Amino acid sequence: MARGTGLLAALVLPLAFGCGRSERAGAPARPAAASKPTPTPRVALGFLDETREPVGAEGGRLVRRLSGEPATLDPTLQSSGVEAEVLQYVARNLFDFDASLRLVPSLAEGIDVSDDGLDFTIRIREDAVWEDGSPVTARDAAFTIRRVMDAKVAAPVFKPLFEDCTGVETLDERSLRVRFREAYAFRRMAFVLPVVPERHYAKAAQAKAQARRPLSDGPYRVASWTAQQEIVLERNPRAWGDARGHFDRIVFKIVPDATTSYRLLASGELDEDDLDSTLKKRAASDPEFASCCRTIEFYNLDYNYIALNNRSPFFADARVRRAVTMLLDRAAIVRGLYSGSARIISGPWAPDSPAYDPGVAPLPFAPGEAMRLLDEAGWRDTDGDGRRDRAGRAFEFELLVSAGSETGRQIDETLAAQLARVGVTAHVRALEWAAFVERVDGGDFEAASLAWSAVDPNPDPYFYWDSSQCAPKGLNSGCYSNPEADRLMRAARRETDSAKRLELLHRLHRLFRDEAPAVFVVNATRKFGFARRVRGLTTSPLGLFGIWPGPLAWWAAPTPAETPAP
Amino acid sequence: MGGADAGGDAGPVTAYVLRRLALAVPTLFGILLVVFLLVHLAPGSPVAGGPEAGRRLTGRAAEEMRRQYGLDRPLGERFGLWISRVTRLDLGESFVDHRPVGVRIREALPYSLLLNGVALALALGIAIPLGVAAGGRPEGAFDRISSAALFALYCMPSFWVALLLQTLFAVRLRWLPLFGVASDAGGGALDRLAHLALPATCLAYGTLAFVARLVRSGIVEASAGTYVLAARARGASRRRALWAHALPNALLPLVTLLGLLLPALLSGSVIVERIFAWPGLGRLYFDSILSRDYPVILGLSLLSAAATLAATLASDVAAAAADPRVRDGTAP
Repeated sequence: MARGTGLLAALVLPLAFGCGRSERAGAPARPAAASKPTPTPRVALGFLDETREPVGAEGGRLVRRLSGEPATLDPTLQSSGVEAEVLQYVARNLFDFDASLRLVPSLAEGIDVSDDGLDFTIRIREDAVWEDGSPVTARDAAFTIRRVMDAKVAAPVFKPLFEDCTGVETLDERSLRVRFREAYAFRRMAFVLPVVPERHYAKAAQAKAQARRPLSDGPYRVASWTAQQEIVLERNPRAWGDARGHFDRIVFKIVPDATTSYRLLASGELDEDDLDSTLKKRAASDPEFASCCRTIEFYNLDYNYIALNNRSPFFADARVRRAVTMLLDRAAIVRGLYSGSARIISGPWAPDSPAYDPGVAPLPFAPGEAMRLLDEAGWRDTDGDGRRDRAGRAFEFELLVSAGSETGRQIDETLAAQLARVGVTAHVRALEWAAFVERVDGGDFEAASLAWSAVDPNPDPYFYWDSSQCAPKGLNSGCYSNPEADRLMRAARRETDSAKRLELLHRLHRLFRDEAPAVFVVNATRKFGFARRVRGLTTSPLGLFGIWPGPLAWWAAPTPAETPAP
Repeated sequence: MGGADAGGDAGPVTAYVLRRLALAVPTLFGILLVVFLLVHLAPGSPVAGGPEAGRRLTGRAAEEMRRQYGLDRPLGERFGLWISRVTRLDLGESFVDHRPVGVRIREALPYSLLLNGVALALALGIAIPLGVAAGGRPEGAFDRISSAALFALYCMPSFWVALLLQTLFAVRLRWLPLFGVASDAGGGALDRLAHLALPATCLAYGTLAFVARLVRSGIVEASAGTYVLAARARGASRRRALWAHALPNALLPLVTLLGLLLPALLSGSVIVERIFAWPGLGRLYFDSILSRDYPVILGLSLLSAAATLAATLASDVAAAAADPRVRDGTAP
């Protein structure tokens, strides 16, 4: 399972994610979530902040798990959670999100925005140096931005927000100015950007070396990378600023199999691991786990949904889309699939996103009302075969899911079973990941189960729901198209007053609930297992890693033997 | 087997080898063409990255990447380019981490050779005595019990056995490590051996069951031969008759089989390597397929196709050297 800890916008990640554990905790925010009464929670849900506790120990090593091998440690080229997890220690961003999702200066010390909102002047900290002692300069930052914009450079995380950048200039050693064509409310999020040293990218061969061992300006640097086995970080002797980390070494073990990594955690060979649906339940009743580890559980900004192709003859009509939403028993999914640790959502954000209006109640589970809507839309059983049809065409479609996404498959099966009861046939079809992505990105599907993994708090729905962004050109894969929604989205991304912007987004939220461009399902908790000795954790709606200082504030009492017995 | 005869008539054998070699080239080419087409015609694109990749390039940026990777050119041209590079021993560069394919394969190859080599040795070392013992007294108590046990072993899926072994030896007893190739401290030969034990067992038991059954039936058949009877008549012990007279003949089919088993040394096992986090070729292959890393997939396919062809060739040559009927095409 990939961990969403990248840096920009939000992204579509069709994978299995967070499911229930046997005991559930925390009341759902939505009254309509209607979960059954549950036992007393054992795990603290919600915000966890241990950074106020005094740091009890310095040194030692922290052993973390990577579920796969990073393709690159070139900060500009990163595309996955595993890369972001390592890079957080070795590449500082100009700005970072803190645990309350505020943008805070990191490598930069400040930013000035021109009155028209088009020019951004950024000053870089004076004490910021690379691991060789040379200063991090405005030239490095300007080079990084030009590199992101270079058509020949794949920078999937950073490209979108620099698409209308018209120029970068360095004003002096420490300051640079970046210009954009249009004002954009969430523009500052573009500067959650790791800077690379210009002189190490002059030649292709150098750039390649950087991809394996990047020059660090963070608290740690890469000591070794053994292919498919481990990446070891050591302290950067030239570390600067606060949050320099408490461990001497950070060891990332590459362990692809989730069951193996759970066992490593329980036997003390790993200090942290994310827990999938099965392992969460197992951890709750495993004495070995209980003796070594604790579970950290919290709601983040991820959610899952079923994309409907608004261009298909079945789902072009909002009444049909509403009907499909009303036929998915989401309360039953929360109980059965997530053991209560999930919240029903009514729009394309998680409840902890400011864009989410808690006043917009989700559509109810109402098969009767759904059948009436289907009738109204012309989908009736005219030939008496028990199946709905219209103009000679039966209501029969493929409901795609990425193979390996157990959660997605179960949601699809639940929906298909209910649809069958009202005379609509949905064939659940699992596709291998790359094939699945090609169909979804190409807009070549009727319905598809997706998981949304938010890597930053940007709530801008424009890229994913505006009619100008239809697949295959854009990311609006279901090609939702509504003039009123377009107007609200475009106004919101221009609105600089945050209260007015929220008001626009909340109106949009209501429209999304009523129009049901997709079936929004639930926001489930993320769960992690941590060795009890590791302290100083902070959870946030972005997770444990995507924030600053995040993992840099962790510390641990040293184990009796620093190297665990095999 | 039969190597001693080869010197006697080098001429016909050499001609046979040359004929087979000439045939191997178009075979290899055919295999590569099919793999190339399969890989490129399968849905999905390397631009999207693997399942780990959270963010994907889309729109114009994706177009530019396709152009850089040469994916906008016609299939025939791409195949021609690849073949011409391969003949210059250049496998190209991985789409995922942009390192040479040769380097990525070289990193994983020793681990696969070690694991599969140990597993194969383990399997043969146990299977042959087991097969001889069972075949020595067909339908005897040992034969019946070992048959049942071997069939059961053969039927057990390796992912399940892997988990059982992990639970028993690594979690409960704590005798053996759970994963990886060596402990953090680096570890000596003993430590590496301990890390090998569970994955090698997982890979070995299926082959073991299969080979033991093969040896058994070979022994049963050979024991009925007049030469075994003659050996017994000359006063050879039962054990000697079995091991020195029946076994060499029973091993002949095994040599052909080895021709098929040896290339597996290079191909790795996806499931076992994943469970034990073993950095071998199986994992590299699997990850490359998921992320549509065409150059790596093709490089690995080339390697395993070449290995398979070489091994079949070698076992055929050995058979030809041993048996003139094979090389003049009159084999029964």
